[in-house]
Amino acid sequence: MSSVDWKNYKPVLIPDVKDLHKIDVYEKNGGYKAFKEILTDKKKWEGPKAVVNEVKAANIRGRGGAGFNAGLKWSFMPPADGGARYLACNGDESEPGTFKDRKIFEYNPHAFIEGALIAAYAMEITTIYVYIRGEYKVYIDMMDKAIQDAYDKGYIGKDIFGSGYSVDFHTHSGAGAYICGEETSMLESLEGKRGYPRVKPPFPAQKGLWGRPTTINNIETLAHVPNVINKGANWFASIGAENHPGPILYGISGHINQPGVYELPSGVPVLDLIHEVAGGMRNGKKLKAVIPGGSSTPIMRADQLEGITMDSESLREVGTMLGTAGMVIMDEDTDMVDMLWRISHFYHHESCGQCTPCRDGTGWLEKILLRIKNGDGEIKDLDLLLDVTTQMEGRTICALADAAAWPVRHTITRFRDEFEARCKKSIHAVA
Amino acid sequence: MPEVFIDGKRFEYEGDHQLLQFILDQGLEVPFLCYHPSMSIPANCRQCMVKVGQPVRDRESGDFELDENGERVIRWFPKLQTSCNIQVADGMVVQTQETDDLVKRAQKDTLEFILANHPLDCPICDQAGECPLQIQTYKYGPEGSRFEVKKVHKPKRVQLGPRVVLDAERCINCTRCVRFTDEISESHQLTIVSRGDKNYPMTAPGREFDDEYSLNTVDICPVGALTSADFRFKARVWEMNQTPSIDISNGKGCNIDLWTRDNMVLRITPRFNEDVNDHWMPDKGREAYNIFNENRISRPVQKLDDEQIKSSWNNALETIAEQIENVDSKDVLFIGSPHASVEENYVLMQMANLLGVGIPSFTTDIEDGYGDGFLISDDHAPNTNGCRLLGLQEESPAQLKKKVNGAKVVLLLNDKLVDRNVLEPSDFSDRFVVMFATNKSETTTAVDLLVPITTAAEHAASYVNVDHRIQRTIAAKETKYTNRRLDIEMSEGRLDRYGTSFDNWITEDNKVDCMPFWNFASQLSGRLGLTIEFNTGRDVMDKLSEEIPAFKGVDYTSIDEQSGIVLSNKEENVKS
Repeated sequence: MSSVDWKNYKPVLIPDVKDLHKIDVYEKNGGYKAFKEILTDKKKWEGPKAVVNEVKAANIRGRGGAGFNAGLKWSFMPPADGGARYLACNGDESEPGTFKDRKIFEYNPHAFIEGALIAAYAMEITTIYVYIRGEYKVYIDMMDKAIQDAYDKGYIGKDIFGSGYSVDFHTHSGAGAYICGEETSMLESLEGKRGYPRVKPPFPAQKGLWGRPTTINNIETLAHVPNVINKGANWFASIGAENHPGPILYGISGHINQPGVYELPSGVPVLDLIHEVAGGMRNGKKLKAVIPGGSSTPIMRADQLEGITMDSESLREVGTMLGTAGMVIMDEDTDMVDMLWRISHFYHHESCGQCTPCRDGTGWLEKILLRIKNGDGEIKDLDLLLDVTTQMEGRTICALADAAAWPVRHTITRFRDEFEARCKKSIHAVA
Repeated sequence: MPEVFIDGKRFEYEGDHQLLQFILDQGLEVPFLCYHPSMSIPANCRQCMVKVGQPVRDRESGDFELDENGERVIRWFPKLQTSCNIQVADGMVVQTQETDDLVKRAQKDTLEFILANHPLDCPICDQAGECPLQIQTYKYGPEGSRFEVKKVHKPKRVQLGPRVVLDAERCINCTRCVRFTDEISESHQLTIVSRGDKNYPMTAPGREFDDEYSLNTVDICPVGALTSADFRFKARVWEMNQTPSIDISNGKGCNIDLWTRDNMVLRITPRFNEDVNDHWMPDKGREAYNIFNENRISRPVQKLDDEQIKSSWNNALETIAEQIENVDSKDVLFIGSPHASVEENYVLMQMANLLGVGIPSFTTDIEDGYGDGFLISDDHAPNTNGCRLLGLQEESPAQLKKKVNGAKVVLLLNDKLVDRNVLEPSDFSDRFVVMFATNKSETTTAVDLLVPITTAAEHAASYVNVDHRIQRTIAAKETKYTNRRLDIEMSEGRLDRYGTSFDNWITEDNKVDCMPFWNFASQLSGRLGLTIEFNTGRDVMDKLSEEIPAFKGVDYTSIDEQSGIVLSNKEENVKS
């Protein structure tokens, strides 16, 4: 298979430019050119629909984890009827192992702002909310400053560039709940309500924020948009893996020499990312397992990784998914039981408690795992765990039950011997 | 006509339907906990899962695609669907727990999850016996528990407000109570606090759950998480008789059930009537259960030397007859009551008519601004419109006071005129006042002769509410003179039907020594030589519906069948 040429890739989303977060520097580096162009160059951009079509052609797969074509999502918005329409930008990234959006807030906030403005124009939206997790207080402040700068420069506000298009931009702080990263509970939270996911249908494009048409996009997804407009859909679609194109922010963490966020094309081999990009395993230890895209994505054993690349097609071969590309690298000393208990503890703590299978299932999983971790478990508990995950999957309103069930199911099936070794020996001797 | 197939049976339908409600309407069953027909659908209990599919149609012709056996090809939803929030669509194929093992398994799994952190204290739980979770667990639940780890602990015995107590461990987070305060009573007093399996409903810090309708949350709570502070631990539900009746504490006339044991009414719950109160009733109406048990007048009471002493029924009859015979008929005043039934007022009217003392007067008990536009009306009395339709003389308080002061003998039907500040005790001093009453009050202590009559819980009688709807009660408890077995109007309870003589549940305790007003009136008319003879409220209604145009065609059977009949306003003007 043709491997992606990642070594010669020049970052465009978080490029090596000093003080890019300042609006002057951003402008000097071609910032807000795309937004100005679509508003003023009516020959090239006939209207909002043209922008939607361009983004659709670029095939930006949503970077929040679900991987849905962003342009296609935009095209689901019903025609403008004069009432309120909203763009809600999801900056709640709370999935363990995921820390890529903070890089955008920190190093290139205006790329996101510009992308959001283009998206808003393309969908004829006049109000943008960016929902940022409360723990990112410093980035919320930075965003507020960046938005204010953009207001002052006339990129946001009334009658932008004399085009007649007006838009408002607000930040909104989360209050510490993982579930508010789920798109519909984020809408509830924005409305000032308890973060309970909504039943779909109706989808947010029909009935979103305050019952009005709303589109929800991830921060990274929107930050790609200015480049798509400047360089064209073909440029974007030609980068990286064919079915999941474009640059991706890989957040690599764990037992690795150089953890961090790396901007590279999609489809980079997993082993290249570990050994070349992130500087290899810490202390020269052996690789044991990789979680590819945030803690909810199924874990991969080291012996499964040969030839696997970071795109949805290739990862599906080993029964996992790209998610947010927040990779967790584990070395040979990692205790899988402890690791899995920690992940289950997180989902138990963060289940909103709306649907029965998730509310009571996540707690049950954690408590059994704690028992196994403490050496009090029995072999039958492992089958019970698998049974409980089956009872949870696909039976709730949102995907949190799935997110809690998958790690348990796949870690046990892929590292079963380790779990069995921690269980008490059965008193029923097998002849 | 559009069609839908449920468990292989074909049903036709019109209009929009949610699948669960449609299934229930067909008399079929799918278990559910959070769904309530009068509130929004959160789909959070995940109990009503079914398998749903749509037939595949040819894109061009629109015809159904058929398989090799000539059956329609069905495209099933990839996941099981909650039936509560899915719309019935033409051609839809549904498999419930009756026909699909995966659905059966999903419902069992959900119950296993719910029971995992449920305390399972049914033996001491008030809800046991009428608990949807208990019923569904027996029907669809797992055989045992695989939950061998520690259950979550949450607050218990929390007094949420004056009338409602919370046991958060029993709560299954269906959010029915929260939705009730948001959507029905609109007080917004409850919300779910905390997260995950630590969730439970709570008020805002420092606030009380003192909603006028708070006890409805106890009714709709599918477990024993919310219980009534008053009814808590008083009775097991299977020991009680449930009798349909009407709320007589307000002019709205909410449809209710009276729950009785040992001739005591122990609680009142609302009964569904789409046209009056839906599934709800105000807390005030429930608190009214005490008027049936406490402070009752038992045996006639006569005032001798300013002291009220117990008398006999015979003496009461003789005394009234003598008083009436001793004065001129124009000096006798009959006063009807909006708090008494149509039948009682009619009998009083007939007696007045036959004695030639003129039409009985009455005065309304309406307090402007008391109502809330929902289920509490301005009218404190259940039968104001009944009095008007009968053609009783409506008087202002001042007029009534003047009339009383101009009479020598006053016969007053159950109306607390002194307590209501229409009259003063001194108005009774220079004349002989007979009162037919159910409960002791300031008014009853002022009168010369007190005749105890039955309450709405002890007789079948009808009331016309503020919307001109005539509805009726059914006797729920016995008195000294009404026998459950003989009186066909008495509702049959579980013990009536299934109990044996060894159950020893028929008790002489708590039987009030009173009789229906029409029975006493029949005896009195016999003594006075008049022609009034009624055995039951049904007899009275049959007579008065012939005689009074406003009630034409009304009888108990049609009231029962139509759960109340709206009497036309036009006929109000046609007085006989």
